[in-house]
Amino acid sequence: MECFSLLRSDVPALIDHLGDFGEVIAPHGKGDVSYSFEAVQDSCDVVLDYNRTLLPLKKMFLPPVEKLMGFSLKNESYEQVDVAITSRVFFGVHSYEMQSILRLDHSMLTGSAESNYFKRRQSSRFVGISFEPDEFHFSESVGIVIEEMEGFDLFLNEVDGDFQLYVLTENGQEMLNGFDKINITEPEIVEGRHFKKKIRYHYNRLPRVFQYAYHSEVWADVASRCVGCGACTLTCPTCFCFDVQDEVEVTAEDGIRQRSWDSCMLSTFAEVAGGENFREKTINRTRHRLYRKFKYITDEEGLPWCVGCGRCTAFCPAGISMPDIVNELIQEDEKAQYHRTVRV
Amino acid sequence: MKRLQDVEHHETEDLYYPTMCKVIGAKQITEMEKWYELEMPEGQSLGHGPGQFVEVSAFGIGEAPISISSSPSKNGKFELCIRQVGTLTNVLKNYETGDSMGIRGPFGKGFPMEKLFGKDILVVAGGIGLVPLRSLINYVLDNRKDFGRLIILYGAKTPSELLFTDELKMWKDRDDVELHVTVDQPDETWKGNTGVITTLIPSLDLKLNTTIAAITGPPVMYKFVVMSLKSKQLPDDQIYLSLERRMKCGVGKCGHCQINGVYCCQDGPVFNYVDIKPLEEAL
Repeated sequence: MECFSLLRSDVPALIDHLGDFGEVIAPHGKGDVSYSFEAVQDSCDVVLDYNRTLLPLKKMFLPPVEKLMGFSLKNESYEQVDVAITSRVFFGVHSYEMQSILRLDHSMLTGSAESNYFKRRQSSRFVGISFEPDEFHFSESVGIVIEEMEGFDLFLNEVDGDFQLYVLTENGQEMLNGFDKINITEPEIVEGRHFKKKIRYHYNRLPRVFQYAYHSEVWADVASRCVGCGACTLTCPTCFCFDVQDEVEVTAEDGIRQRSWDSCMLSTFAEVAGGENFREKTINRTRHRLYRKFKYITDEEGLPWCVGCGRCTAFCPAGISMPDIVNELIQEDEKAQYHRTVRV
Repeated sequence: MKRLQDVEHHETEDLYYPTMCKVIGAKQITEMEKWYELEMPEGQSLGHGPGQFVEVSAFGIGEAPISISSSPSKNGKFELCIRQVGTLTNVLKNYETGDSMGIRGPFGKGFPMEKLFGKDILVVAGGIGLVPLRSLINYVLDNRKDFGRLIILYGAKTPSELLFTDELKMWKDRDDVELHVTVDQPDETWKGNTGVITTLIPSLDLKLNTTIAAITGPPVMYKFVVMSLKSKQLPDDQIYLSLERRMKCGVGKCGHCQINGVYCCQDGPVFNYVDIKPLEEAL
């Protein structure tokens, strides 16, 4: 693994250079306090220091709204949609975000492998960047450190305001060909970047906590505060649930079938025709969300399906915190253990 | 964990395109339910097993999961029976012979026929639960010598809601079928059993080691039927249930049909009772 030094002032030149390998998509400021992954028009607009984008990078592979087909009502027929395979370079991606894409790969490609997702995901290259954790990030608690480089082709680690550039794959090597603003250097370990938010247990102990947490009193407390808006799941980088709707044009002759992100936190998510609702109460839905992140897929794959980005907490209008819920479940589990011991 | 590099392009699928199937027969059989016979294009076969379902679509309205009601032994053609209960199904009400329906599937796990061969089959159908179970019943009848007894318990709210009445008569007349029908609310013409479906269970004479139960009905029915069968000492692993959920995509992605960690459209809709017993959201 090679490591180069790169001046902060030369990063725009690197972004311009990466344009030879496809459309570059990078974080941009949106308003005063929000960030968004957008196609780069001017490399100087790319934001290098950001906490998190509102929508996860997932939107580039599983779009919030996606046309599945066009149809003709008159002819009872449909036209297929051709998903174009385009080369794209994703620049300035945080480690938890990259890990979310790797989890999304599993979700969309296991069992029936979806061609739409696969085509968008092909020919993508990733350039990571380190970040300063804010009060919401807790990715270290789910096993993802700031400098986790799995999945990246290149990784920029900030050292004293400038960067160390790690080359991680052949694609990464290729992307630096002809770029002369870098100098070979020794990798440094950066001290002093700490996660402020933590889950108290190592993540490999969480499946056991969740095994006994199904009837916890914590769920009722969370449900009493939840407003059921679905923001937590719609900003979650590993959520992939969707709904499908038909839209008919005003002529009533043609239309499109499209899918859009859906949320298991919305009240009618598990409702069937006839009115039966299989997760009718908020308490069922809040629990389901957490079990999706820490138990169901985790039991199969051995990894938490939460990457600790902090979005669900940062964007929750009711101030509900994912790591706080987990810590409360841990605390309750410890109390239950204590009582079990005392009784014996 | 599945990785992108583990997947080849040819292994990926266009999951959401329906096959346009011609309606070759249609009949409103009760006030709420319509029966359809469909044909795949170009002599294709649907290739389903008893208990599987398809996604039916009407352009401009959407898709819904619908049980296949015919036996797989019926080649090239298949049947659906659809209750008019939602937006899509109320539009499908107007579909007649000659119209085209979009079909995806078949999806999910049906009844594990390899485990049913040679066994006594106890069918417990509540309301439109008879629709998916009819594919099992007719499969057993088409291969009658491969199975032991065929006992059918069928309950409906009222006599007018009874489905497939012609077939009920045929089953009643066969001496190799034991049919017991009950209604919750009889009318003045009704001469049969009255009461919920579980009232038919206590008097059954079952051979416990060879009986397999197959249950489908409204959500409220399952617990009571399972309790009744358990009080007859029928072992848990000889009970199969087909569950209803909002199986929107049919391919284990969209999340709507999840029962705890299980996708109903992939691991079900037919489950062995042992497998769903630990799932709090199942029954």
